[in-house]
Amino acid sequence: MFETANPETLRQIGRSPARHDAEDKITGAAVYVSDMAFPGMLHAQVKKSPHARAKIQRIDVSRAARLPGVRAILIGADLDYRLGLYVVDKDILAKSEVRHFGEAVAAVAADTLILARQAVDLIEVEYEVLPPILNHMDALAPGAPLVHPDLGKYDYVQAVFSPQPGTNIANLTRCRKGDVEKGFAEATWIVEREYTNPSVQHVPMETHVVIAQWKTGDRVEIWTSAQSPFTVRDLFCHAFKLPPSNVHVSIPNVGGGFGGKAGIHLEPLVACLSRKAGGRPVKLQATREEEFSLLPCRSALTYRIKTGVLADGRIIAQKMEMFWDAGAYADYAVNVTRASGYSAGGPYEIPNAWVDAYTVYTNKPYGTAYRGFGHVEFFWGLERHMELVAQTIGMDPLEFRRKNLLRPGSLTLTGEKITEHTGDVRKCLDAVAASIRYGELTPEEKAREARAGLKIGKGVATLHKAPAMPSNTATSVVVKMNSDGSVLVNVGLTEIGQGSTTALAQIAAERLRFPLNKVRVTIEKDTDRDPYDWQTVASKGLILTGNALLLACQDLLAKAYELAGQALRAQACDLDHDGEKIFVRHNPDHSVKFSQVALGYMFPDGNGIGGPLIGVGRYIAQGLTNLNKETGQGLPALDWTYGAHGIVVEVNPTTGEHHILKIASAYDVGKAVNPELIRGQCIGGMVQGLGTALCEGYIYDEQGRLLNPSFTDNKIPTTKDLPDEIECIIVERAQVDGPYGARGVGEHPMISVAPALGNAIRAATGAELTHMPIRSEDVWRAMNRKEPVETWITKTPVGSCKTLPVGK
Amino acid sequence: MLHQFNYLAPRTRAELHGVLAAEGPAASLLAGGTDLLVNIRAGLIKPRLVVDAKQVDGFSGISWSEREGLVIRAAATINQVLRDARTAIDFPLLVACARDLASHQVRNRATVIGNVVNASPCSDMAPALLCLKARAAISSKRGEREVPFSAFFKGVKETVVAPDEVVERIVVPAASKGARGGYHKLKRINGHDLGVVGVALCVDREGEMRVAVGSCAPTPILVEGLDAAAPADAVVAAVMRAISPISDVRATKEYRAHMVEQFVRRLVDEVRS
Amino acid sequence: MKISVTINGALYEREAPENVTLLRFLREYVGLTGTKEGCGGGECGACTVLLDGRAVNACLILAAEVDGASLRTIEGEAQDGEPSDLQKAFARRHAVQCGYCTPGMVMSARALIERNPKPSVDEIKEGLEGNFCRCTGYVQIIEAVLEATGQPATIQEGSHV
Repeated sequence: MFETANPETLRQIGRSPARHDAEDKITGAAVYVSDMAFPGMLHAQVKKSPHARAKIQRIDVSRAARLPGVRAILIGADLDYRLGLYVVDKDILAKSEVRHFGEAVAAVAADTLILARQAVDLIEVEYEVLPPILNHMDALAPGAPLVHPDLGKYDYVQAVFSPQPGTNIANLTRCRKGDVEKGFAEATWIVEREYTNPSVQHVPMETHVVIAQWKTGDRVEIWTSAQSPFTVRDLFCHAFKLPPSNVHVSIPNVGGGFGGKAGIHLEPLVACLSRKAGGRPVKLQATREEEFSLLPCRSALTYRIKTGVLADGRIIAQKMEMFWDAGAYADYAVNVTRASGYSAGGPYEIPNAWVDAYTVYTNKPYGTAYRGFGHVEFFWGLERHMELVAQTIGMDPLEFRRKNLLRPGSLTLTGEKITEHTGDVRKCLDAVAASIRYGELTPEEKAREARAGLKIGKGVATLHKAPAMPSNTATSVVVKMNSDGSVLVNVGLTEIGQGSTTALAQIAAERLRFPLNKVRVTIEKDTDRDPYDWQTVASKGLILTGNALLLACQDLLAKAYELAGQALRAQACDLDHDGEKIFVRHNPDHSVKFSQVALGYMFPDGNGIGGPLIGVGRYIAQGLTNLNKETGQGLPALDWTYGAHGIVVEVNPTTGEHHILKIASAYDVGKAVNPELIRGQCIGGMVQGLGTALCEGYIYDEQGRLLNPSFTDNKIPTTKDLPDEIECIIVERAQVDGPYGARGVGEHPMISVAPALGNAIRAATGAELTHMPIRSEDVWRAMNRKEPVETWITKTPVGSCKTLPVGK
Repeated sequence: MLHQFNYLAPRTRAELHGVLAAEGPAASLLAGGTDLLVNIRAGLIKPRLVVDAKQVDGFSGISWSEREGLVIRAAATINQVLRDARTAIDFPLLVACARDLASHQVRNRATVIGNVVNASPCSDMAPALLCLKARAAISSKRGEREVPFSAFFKGVKETVVAPDEVVERIVVPAASKGARGGYHKLKRINGHDLGVVGVALCVDREGEMRVAVGSCAPTPILVEGLDAAAPADAVVAAVMRAISPISDVRATKEYRAHMVEQFVRRLVDEVRS
Repeated sequence: MKISVTINGALYEREAPENVTLLRFLREYVGLTGTKEGCGGGECGACTVLLDGRAVNACLILAAEVDGASLRTIEGEAQDGEPSDLQKAFARRHAVQCGYCTPGMVMSARALIERNPKPSVDEIKEGLEGNFCRCTGYVQIIEAVLEATGQPATIQEGSHV
């Protein structure tokens, strides 16, 4: 809900105070699960499959069990539990079959890490290696081997997903708006192309790590580097059939998540090891190599788009087919498919639309939530396609986009009506185009081209995303007043680096009219102490938790006023307050300090009234609906955040080497609560988007082994990979139901960076890139119309530097 | 987390030679550790004993003499080379290659000798040492020998250094002083990366041009005896004849070949301007 | 073996196996957990410490190698409970998000400004090249180093429209 505060009088909102969690992080005092240890704690290691698809014929743990210091060993047969957020398709340890390279087949807990590693090496596994199904398009062919032959028997969330038993399709999401065939019949042009991108990894600087302790009475303590404490608890309880009050999840500082730590991952395995070890705490931290293959990644995508355009350049029909490579397990991928399915057309008016989005199983490490939840992947194809359509019909790509943008009154793919307050995508697009001087080369740019023999090109791309979340997503906040009148705020929303702790403190301070130093939002999460929040994902934290916080502040003030009214013998409606005290509006000297009512009020004669002041607020997404499984119609979107990028790129026409001279990015954030935090998301997300665009991507051999499971060959951007100039532009078209008008922007900066770059490279050289990443060799090939590099599943041998040194 | 091994830091050459003679392949020499520890962690090497060469008397530093040339000793790090005033003036090709080796932190530990003994085809220092006609001074209990780098590399991560030997010094001959040239390295990002291809070129005071290429064969490849005034096409042709790039996860062989040609042309242009 | 090392000006003596890395030694044997492991292979810089004044990756050094040496870690950057100017600049300039890369980043920056008191933007990028950050996109980190060295600190424009 929107506080109709006068922007002139806002004192906290719109400022950029330093983060509240900065001090511990800059001094090294911040504790992460990786830093934690407990008395008697054991260390765990996992035995992983070297094969992409194999039957486990035999596992012999006897030699490992005899190693002194080994306290527990588990194999798949020991654990009869099934996991799965939406489709329950995963065992904790592979049972009779492994389905991806790096899958866990056994686990050991021992006194030391080295002992655990030695024990794992002593576990013997006999595999019957089977031919893997690696390419998701092959997995769709009739007669393809099935990754999950028992798909028809799995539990799944029926209201939302549609697995197709007897196939490798874990989910099919459909959206039908209008009549596409009729639309195509009316079209003057029809443009069709396919776009692809590989899997990438989140690369949080802190890998996944868990400490778990399974105590007597089936009470479980879990410390985890995770984004969603209540999701960990609830999924854990669901899998092990325990009541929520038996399981206690704690999250200290988190060294990055990006969606990879959104659900449940290593917690069940580690807890089971603890149970097997007689209740001793057990710690498991993934190595960086395990992070790339044991832990999940982001699904690869093939996106086919067919667009029909009228003579005047308006889109009349669009058919969109998405084929998501989920890997071996459905995890979040089925929901990524759904959320992308309903968003697939981008911020454009598409009167007749058809979307079929498939989640396809393959024998590869599986895809989970990743910043953007499918949008980084599909906007690559979509925004490259808008460019192609514009080129084909002879219209400038910027003009073509402007002509087709959603505007108030437009209907989205799901039938939602865009309003004046949804957001201003046009302004975002215009702002970036102006910033990069789209459509022309400046004299400096022309001189630069001539001097260096390079080509300069400019491209734009739009983006949009709504939070991908259940229609009844809810959150709650508790605000407790300390004896000195300051407040402590408990939220279930997790600080994973995005700065929610600080932004929420500013919102509370604004609403309470307190100075910022009188508000503290707790950082560590604890399911016993903090009130429920669904998950820290989806860029919904600021809106939902911010609103719940406003209500909690309102509740606190109401209770404070009630008490003050008694103390001052005044009616609540005659009271007002400032940062220190509550006073009678028409007699301001007649006042009582917050500190005097914080723990109840005491009259001069000693009588006490009231009690400790605690404000409670809760907020649920309102009016959202499930999508009709046949037509995709409904209202799934809490809000839409729009944005755009403009890129100026310089390309060497001989080698394909390229460099971004300038990137301008604009987002309609509704209201900037903390501009420096937004800038941090803006630049951080953009650079992560550059990683996807420039250098990241999983490469497998034909047996399904991951060839680049480390930083040696899975590069991410460094300080030297920044564009020369970066501009972040904030647009503020208020979100009516957002706190002070704010809406989320956590994921958005990563979306559409790649296609903006692809469009700019096309403008510079004519090279048509339809696959990511965009390395210099990819540009060279595209410029010279050569076959693109087969990067996902390569026929070429292992890297030249990997051979064992001879004689050693 | 590393495989179990013992650590020894001998103080004298004699002690070092004795240990290497006794342990042979069960011992690994440690200098910078930036390759050795990575390999041990990956389980590629499992030494029983790690022998630290850095504390041996006479194994530190970089020095120059008119008679011998530039002498880089076993413990001399990449960053020491980059800080050495003499090297910057007289052997700019060494600086050009060193500058792009990994990151600042790695360069503070990685040694020049360690880089070439590791003998990765992607070695950044090997192309410079090949072009500058440097020699490896190798010693053991059995005696001493010098091997020019043109005869030093035998295969991928394979050199002529026997398990009981240590490369004590690299000698860059005085005749190579003042050789002009440069190094171009293809990376996948602007940030630190190994060389997808690497090309070094130099022209010495006598007017001989030499080109060395990394990541295009099992070993770094040297093409020598070129005329400083040779047309770029001829230089390219000579280099292309000598290399045999492959396709792998980093690049295809066509692109490697293409970029080697481009780098050769750039370097020829640069050295002539 | 017994390892005697000066860390942040204080002498520490510990028994540790000969195959323990300096990173593990600091975190598990000395109990200074500020220095983090990000990859274990010398690529990410999360474990950057200063050894005899030079920035190094602790994961690629054996504890045995630092016997008798002098180290500085993130825990020594603040003095008498007061964060250094460099640390304060990091906080003010929002150069921290999840914080996991921060100790290594601060130590790299510390080593940089000790050898180059007024580094240019390019020199800062070069000096911090070996420190990955997945959250910030580096710009605010570069600005923090500029501010800490008394130089104009905004290298990138932001605007409202």
